[in-house]
Amino acid sequence: MLGGEIFGLLGPNGAGKSTLIRIVMDIIRADAGSVRVFGEPRSRAHLDRLGYLPEERGLYTKQSVIDVMTYLGTLKGLPRADARRRSHEWLEKVELPAVASWRIDRLSKGMSQKVQIAAVLLSDPELCVLDEPTTGLDPVNVRLVQDLLTERRERGRTTILSTHHMNQVEALCDRVALINRGQLVVYGDVEDVRRRHSLPEVRIRARGTLPPLTDIGEVVEEAPGVWRLRLTDGAGPTQALQALVSRGAAVESFEPMLAPMEDIFLRVVREARA
Amino acid sequence: MTRWRKVPAILAFEFLSTIKRPGYLITTFGMPLFMGLYAAIVAVPAYYAEQHSAAESSVFGIVDHADVLHLTSDARPSPSRIPDDLRRALEAAGQTRAIEQLTSDATIVFRPFADEASARRALVARGIKGYYVLPPDYLRDGVVRGYTSESAGLSESDARDELRSFLRERLLGGRVDGALAARVLDPVAETQSFAVTRAGDVRDGGSVASIVRLVVPLAFMVLFLMSILMTSGYLMQGTAAEKENKVVEVLLSSARPDEILAGKLIGLGAAGLLQIVVWLAIVLAAGVGIAPLLLAARVEVPWGAVALALPFFLTAFLFFGSLMLGTGSLGSNMREAQQLAMIWSLTAALPMIMMAVLINEPHGLTARIMTWVPFTSGAVVMFREAIDPMSLAWWEVAGALFILIISTFVALRLGARLFRIGLLNAGARPSLREIIRQARLA
Repeated sequence: MLGGEIFGLLGPNGAGKSTLIRIVMDIIRADAGSVRVFGEPRSRAHLDRLGYLPEERGLYTKQSVIDVMTYLGTLKGLPRADARRRSHEWLEKVELPAVASWRIDRLSKGMSQKVQIAAVLLSDPELCVLDEPTTGLDPVNVRLVQDLLTERRERGRTTILSTHHMNQVEALCDRVALINRGQLVVYGDVEDVRRRHSLPEVRIRARGTLPPLTDIGEVVEEAPGVWRLRLTDGAGPTQALQALVSRGAAVESFEPMLAPMEDIFLRVVREARA
Repeated sequence: MTRWRKVPAILAFEFLSTIKRPGYLITTFGMPLFMGLYAAIVAVPAYYAEQHSAAESSVFGIVDHADVLHLTSDARPSPSRIPDDLRRALEAAGQTRAIEQLTSDATIVFRPFADEASARRALVARGIKGYYVLPPDYLRDGVVRGYTSESAGLSESDARDELRSFLRERLLGGRVDGALAARVLDPVAETQSFAVTRAGDVRDGGSVASIVRLVVPLAFMVLFLMSILMTSGYLMQGTAAEKENKVVEVLLSSARPDEILAGKLIGLGAAGLLQIVVWLAIVLAAGVGIAPLLLAARVEVPWGAVALALPFFLTAFLFFGSLMLGTGSLGSNMREAQQLAMIWSLTAALPMIMMAVLINEPHGLTARIMTWVPFTSGAVVMFREAIDPMSLAWWEVAGALFILIISTFVALRLGARLFRIGLLNAGARPSLREIIRQARLA
């Protein structure tokens, strides 16, 4: 991983994502191998520079929101007054300033989720691991969390995001790793990965109809005036565009198609199972 | 020091969140209130019954065929009951204590009857509670016959004692001098006890002093056990709640398991101790009158034992707490956790169980062995120091404390590993093999 990026950790259920995260956070020890953090062998001295939102998470239900957030802040090495001040600030950021004095068990699931995210981020950790942070949030709050993560990246903070929401990966992540049964199967820059795993397809927008292109590939009409062309072996996008123009098509736009992350995920996992 | 820097934050959170719990507040302040109410419910009727019986005199008849009491009317125990010549003799001999004893606030009244038939009629008619017959040859045989109703109460034995004193007074009156009469009436006016140490020193061995020497270590043991049991309860509750609330991984990603363990132990231990301090304060406030009594009895407080109490108490508390929390966290639920931790409660109670042996032989082989065993050393060193500090060598105290500190350190590390394994295994209890495997990796 590189500093200052949002890194997507992907994989099907049971692939070993949470186990890997727990090993990175030194909650469980690996049978073999080693972990390096900030360019050094992982140690407990790094605790205060790391943030972690586990998949199986919760808060002290009988305590007030502000007390729990302050406590978790002090556990990250913040002075108590600073932790309390930051807790209030972060409650503002997650649009929950009114719940500071509420007991945790009074919060709705979504509220509790946002409070937990705020509690993790209030110490401004250099590296933060978020395991399914948006599960249970409505689209508005998903966007809120995405904005918070983007803001962290702009400040040079690094985030590991474990999620099953591939649209979030495409929207947020700079690089990804996809693991299956404990093995790394895909790794790299998101655009590169999408390009590498894309089928040879192009999307064409044109007025009127398309001329015959059977020698170039298979045409499928997606919508009026929009076609997808799956190229035959040996045919490339340049050849396809030349054929369209030379055969009189009124082309308005022509774009090679990148495979969605979801398709890549499904394909890679199915191939691995096969 | 940085190794333990998260401990203050954890202990403060644990302490404050525990003492704010309604259950804690109810137990802390409700328990003395409940005990007070219970005592009142038991004591108030008993007090009024006592007042009632004190106000009513118990009348017993006397049929004096031996002619030794010379009663002409009811004789009530009072200063006037003592024959004048005996009173003068006692006063002249400075035996005021004997006079006080004779004029104690007895409520027995002796009523003369001419014959047994009239006394029996009075008994049947409930006019008297019983009667005594002094036969003509009483002086020779000393036999007195007592008659009471079938439903005789406790006053019958009081009346018999009173009759003895009454007979002694009347028999001695005018026959012996004051000092001799006083000794016959009150043979042992006071017992002064002394204890001789192995070094040959004589020190106060009075019953109060002896009691205090026993009470200090006993109080230590009881306090210690109470702290262990109550705190372990809070620890189990807290750990179960963290498992249930799924806060565990967040904690473990922020602090080391031994920091969490130490913070919890100290925070919850302090909450447990605060509870005991509140109870003691209430008890002391209620029984503040005992202080002058102790001062008047010239009680020798075993300061050595008191001074040793703090380091031994705190170290032993951390030792047992680490083990209890570590093993308890392996349980999959609260009940299982308490069952697992029970073994340590029993071990902590071992000096109490062996108390008879320790009292008989405070410096015997058993006591000496228990001094060096970390599971028992805290209580046993305290006990031996309080009983006879001269016979407990300084190196025994220092050695026992050293071993206890080392053991506490080991227990803390072991407890932390078990704690970590237990917290992460939120489902069924892990097998012994799994525990060993994870403990090696942890």
